[in-house]
Amino acid sequence: MSGATNGSYNFKVVLLGEGCVGKTSILLRYIEDKFNDKHLTTLQATFLNKKININGKRINLSIWDTAGQEKFHALGPIYYRNSNGAILVYDITDEDSFGKVKNWVKELKKMLGSDIVLVIAGNKVDLEHERTVPLEEAESYANMVGAKHFYTSAKLNQGVEDLFLELTREMTERHDRNAQADVSRTSRVLVVEDEAPAPSSCCSGAKHN
Amino acid sequence: MDGAYDEIISDNPFFVELKNEYTNLFQHCISQSWVVCVPRIGSLTTRVFTVEDFCAHILVPSDELPETNYSTLTEKQVTVSNKVIILEVTKELPLQSHILFEETFYTEDFLKYKVWCIESPLEPTRNVGDNTITKEYLTSINDCIDLLWTQAAGRQVLDQIEQSVQVFLKKQPSLPIAIGPLKDAVSELYTQCLQYALQNRRLREKSKACKQILENIKIAVECYMQQILFDALFKPICTCCSYEDSHLNKKIRNMCDIQLRDLDIKKELYHAVPKAKQILSKIDSYNTVLEKVLCLKQALNAINKKDSSNNVVLLTADDLLPVFVFLVIKSGLPNWYSQLTYMKEFRFSGVGRSDGDESAFLITTLEAVIEHIQSGALAGPPDPESYYYESNLTEENLNNRQRKNSLTESISTSDTNSRDETLEYIFELVKANHTEQIQTILLRNQRHLESIHANDNNMLKITLESDLLNDYDEDDDSGSDTEIYQKLCHPLCNCKKCCSKISKNLLRTSPTVNSRDSHGLTPLHVACIHGKAAIVEILIEMRAEIDATDLNECTALHYAASRGHQNALLLLLHSGAHINQANIDKNTPLHLAVNNGHLNCVKALIYFAEHSRKMIMINSANESGNTPLHLASKWGYEGIARLLIENGAEPSLQNRYNKTAFDYAHNLKILQVLKSVTPNLYEYIHITTSDVKVLNYRNDKNLTFKLQKMTLRYQDNNPSKAVENLKLIDRILKAISYGDVKLACFYMNINYADYVDDSNQLKDSSCHPLCECKMCKKKTESCTEFDVNFSDSNGFTALHYASRYGLDELCNILILNKANVNCSNKKGQTPLHLAALNNKTGVIRVLLDNGANINAVDITGNTPLHDASDMGNIGAAKILISYGPNMTMLNGSEKTALKIAKERVHLTIIDLIEKHANNS
Repeated sequence: MSGATNGSYNFKVVLLGEGCVGKTSILLRYIEDKFNDKHLTTLQATFLNKKININGKRINLSIWDTAGQEKFHALGPIYYRNSNGAILVYDITDEDSFGKVKNWVKELKKMLGSDIVLVIAGNKVDLEHERTVPLEEAESYANMVGAKHFYTSAKLNQGVEDLFLELTREMTERHDRNAQADVSRTSRVLVVEDEAPAPSSCCSGAKHN
Repeated sequence: MDGAYDEIISDNPFFVELKNEYTNLFQHCISQSWVVCVPRIGSLTTRVFTVEDFCAHILVPSDELPETNYSTLTEKQVTVSNKVIILEVTKELPLQSHILFEETFYTEDFLKYKVWCIESPLEPTRNVGDNTITKEYLTSINDCIDLLWTQAAGRQVLDQIEQSVQVFLKKQPSLPIAIGPLKDAVSELYTQCLQYALQNRRLREKSKACKQILENIKIAVECYMQQILFDALFKPICTCCSYEDSHLNKKIRNMCDIQLRDLDIKKELYHAVPKAKQILSKIDSYNTVLEKVLCLKQALNAINKKDSSNNVVLLTADDLLPVFVFLVIKSGLPNWYSQLTYMKEFRFSGVGRSDGDESAFLITTLEAVIEHIQSGALAGPPDPESYYYESNLTEENLNNRQRKNSLTESISTSDTNSRDETLEYIFELVKANHTEQIQTILLRNQRHLESIHANDNNMLKITLESDLLNDYDEDDDSGSDTEIYQKLCHPLCNCKKCCSKISKNLLRTSPTVNSRDSHGLTPLHVACIHGKAAIVEILIEMRAEIDATDLNECTALHYAASRGHQNALLLLLHSGAHINQANIDKNTPLHLAVNNGHLNCVKALIYFAEHSRKMIMINSANESGNTPLHLASKWGYEGIARLLIENGAEPSLQNRYNKTAFDYAHNLKILQVLKSVTPNLYEYIHITTSDVKVLNYRNDKNLTFKLQKMTLRYQDNNPSKAVENLKLIDRILKAISYGDVKLACFYMNINYADYVDDSNQLKDSSCHPLCECKMCKKKTESCTEFDVNFSDSNGFTALHYASRYGLDELCNILILNKANVNCSNKKGQTPLHLAALNNKTGVIRVLLDNGANINAVDITGNTPLHDASDMGNIGAAKILISYGPNMTMLNGSEKTALKIAKERVHLTIIDLIEKHANNS
């Protein structure tokens, strides 16, 4: 009954960013491989589940979309608590939305420390000619705060999959690291049960396949 | 808790064999991004698979429609829609299989391929294996009971759960009122129930075979337990959350006018809101967390509908939250916080999985919504008038000179439309609290009106000829109103020029203190809506109509009360606003103040009423039959409920739906407040319904005392009315015991002032039997609808109390109001007895002068003289004796008054009685 039951990981990912930067489109593109399509099986694009299997590690992603309006900003902590990863989306043609991302990063670092994996996504690269957020600035900022930076276009299906894949790998790695740290920490005090290392052992088994 | 099917694909024998034994096929499949279908574990009977089996389960996307149309490697056509695979089989019906889930695999070199876990094999000939996969989703308590019943093949598990819940409840007759311990206790019970369930052999084996079943069993056990436990559990939860709930309710009540557009909700979603609201409001009727969460989900799904032009509206988080906020505000549920706490904290089967499943998302969304409402970020209630006035006047541009100029212009030009415009401007000035400007404008307009009035004579002679107006040269347009008349040739002149001046003046329409807009709002209403006490004061000073009503028949007092502006409210009350005025829904200001949770205003209303001797109708019912106490109870306003109860609110009154305030109380705290009055009341009701009471005392001595029936005075079959009267009499008696004659009179609806100014005349009761002078008329007519002979549960009337406490003045008033001087209480005592016992000589005189029976006996046979002798009350004895009582009367112990006095050695009294006996 730990965070990773039966060798599968459960990760919660929140999408944060100003309204109209395309959070929902990115989400839909990833889950249903559709862009604002009429043939969606799910009509609610606020919560979506995705099962992936990287190299034998089963990962269940629960992706939560959040409201981007400024008036709902204060509700952020309710949404992002206990989440393993956050995708911060901005619109490359909108400088304000990048400023908003910086705010989110500051807030997340303050509230969750390094427990959360951050990925910054510059969306709408299909509108490259209208770019207002300088490429170098965005990337060097992401570097500085220890987040990966991706350019995406939900419209052209660019970078979306890479973004989620990278995020997932990072979360898995961090989870394993933490689990190991937990084991070593608890084993020094008292070895109670070997529940915690379960994911790693299972995964190593899967690697042999 | 969403109970979606899950299994580890890489452990599935079908998949393992494909991967290990047919590596080439598998690799090819990956490189071509074909979809691999894997029948779920247990759906295949055999463990031996052929190449054909695998080929039949590999789907190749078609070129035209890669999303929906596929063909298998065995050349069969497959379509996919809404997560169902349909295989076209030539002879039979098409074979269907649900896609249970999709898993995206990435190889080490990051090649991607999709695997669909399907419910049954895509092989029509293949014999389908054990069909133990029960319902994928448990959606109701009945599903849960079904599952436990059928899977365990009998009721025993259900019975065991029920039993352990009963034992649990018996062990803890009152559950702890704190969420922590409560959760721990219930969690322990859940573990215990789950253990019972898994002790069942069949359930244990099945759950071992399939993880899915285990999850479902957990949910079912939890649900069944919650269902039985709910009644006992939810009240304590509500009690824990009562503070949050009442605050949330206050917030919600104060913004109940809010409209969809105020929340920036997309127009395409409007149509779905009523349906969603209806679904969501049912959340209260579900007992289990599972069903409540499902209700949330259904409500949100209801919003995901097609818009009017049949396009699918995709609901994004940006849309979802505002709609949800609206739904919660409009749902009318009084305990959202408790519902949230219940869902959040008492969901045990989901624990252990990550926090991220769909139920967690729904609950979190609800939490976010509640937090959003609670935080007050919703900028308060929109002003009712904001719908028709776009407010563009800020402090800044108010100070702008130009605006001022245009204002004076608009007033001085005699444009008939200027009335609306300037009234609007005044409303905005009120909003911005510009006291002085309002005062100047209104005063000027008033003066203008007065001047017109003063020149009535001239007015009559004026004919409004257009050419006359046109001829007129507008040189003195800027002159003030009073000046106009000074500019006339002569005050009575009616030459062309003068007439036109006057008529121009008459045509000018400018707002006054009593002007109304299209919704019937006066400046006073607007000032009260915004709580600008200083402006309210000015307007009142300028003789604004206090009780002016708008379209909804609301007075300014209604608005002050509903918006919680205590200062404005008090100003209105002191200026004589009608305190019990009902609006179109029969709501009094008290209703509105209570409904919106404004304790300060409720206090102001009640205390003002008490202080000023005005009757506030504390139990008045509105259109739906709700009294203020109903509302306080429903929304959980503990402080207000207590205040109402203390001031005579009656919790047992029923509204139109036959509900009392008790029925609306959803937490123990409120219930306690409501109950704090009732024990006595039920006793009262019991007494009042009994008929004539005859008490035979000591029959052998032939001393029979008929006790006066104390109940006949209100043989009203309506207990609550009787109860109301009883509470009133209690208050009256209390006032008397404090010696507060005025208050007592006020309660009895007697105008005290009528009696004070000429209290000296009271003794000689009337000039002449038929006299009709003011004084006598008062005496005969002053009987109010209140019967002064009401008694409390011990048979004490107001006169008894007045006698006991020696208030001769009040005794006089009561007697004038037809109080029965010889009525007796439960012990058979008349007011005279009490006066004698307490040595109230003044009262004794008044009573005896007004026909009190000097030889009245109480149930122990004592006359007033016995009592006076017993107590050694010399003064009382003296007066009694002077009225010539029968001194030979024996009491119940066969003693005369003299004998008692001797026993007590009250020498003076012995002396008095003996002297009198000798004289007579």
